[in-house]
Amino acid sequence: MSGPSASPALCYFEDVEREVLLETPGLTLTSAHVSLFTGVTADPVLRDPDAVPDLLPLCLSSGLGWRVPRPPLAVLAFMGFEWRFHVPLKVGDTIHSVSLTVAKRSMREGGVIIEERRIVNQRGESVQSGRLTLLVERRPPS
Amino acid sequence: MLSLRSVNGHDAVFFEDLEIGREFTSPGRTVTEADIVIFAGLSGDYNVLHTDAEHMKSSIFGERIAHGLLGLGIQQGLAARGEPAAAHGLLAGLKWKFKGPIKIGDTVHVRSRITAKRDGPDTARGLVTVERRLLNQRGEVVQEGETEHVVERRKP
Repeated sequence: MSGPSASPALCYFEDVEREVLLETPGLTLTSAHVSLFTGVTADPVLRDPDAVPDLLPLCLSSGLGWRVPRPPLAVLAFMGFEWRFHVPLKVGDTIHSVSLTVAKRSMREGGVIIEERRIVNQRGESVQSGRLTLLVERRPPS
Repeated sequence: MLSLRSVNGHDAVFFEDLEIGREFTSPGRTVTEADIVIFAGLSGDYNVLHTDAEHMKSSIFGERIAHGLLGLGIQQGLAARGEPAAAHGLLAGLKWKFKGPIKIGDTVHVRSRITAKRDGPDTARGLVTVERRLLNQRGEVVQEGETEHVVERRKP
């Protein structure tokens, strides 16, 4: 392989370990996050200026997921998810995400992993949680 | 949000006003490179799928694609412009499938339908299920799923 695509370390399907808890650092939700999110999605501005749009914490958790002691997952496609909203969040709350791979299934194109994810606030309460299905690349032959 | 989004004004609808089978269509929206860049910056998700044009030339998509969750967020904003605003609506849950890519320049819109109503967490509120599809300019479903909303009942 030549040129700029010589890849940095990634976590491929074969590298994903089941039942290993990955915990991200925290992230304090600010009104800047809310403004950027409502700006790009046009999700209606909420009446309470300190309210956090329901989908924002999940979106932030996808980037937080890069900040764990494991190289970024070689995701080929996000296939779907199921999600529950337990506690509304406010600007000033600090969230982090805790995730666990509960299942792996080999496919022709790569492998599917099922990840359980929870978003936790500064009081340790689970504020949102669910299951994500991701298609992950196989380790390329070296 | 159904948008069943939360409003307190006189045009808010209540649990009783939402009929099973009712359908809604949103306006369209063209997804731009700027949307993807802003979303990468906001979320911190810099996966090459969304950020490396050269790498993506040789992928099955042939170019960068929007983050799935960006599509979902855009869907949420569009739905709010097509569906009624419910009194004190809260999102309770979501089941969602990403069926195909959203590419830069694609124009998407939402079609939704109320599919179920049932008792909520208390007597003042009910649960409403909405089926939603996000379609591109060729009529292909790129995302679809089901959202569940807590909606206030009319006061007796």
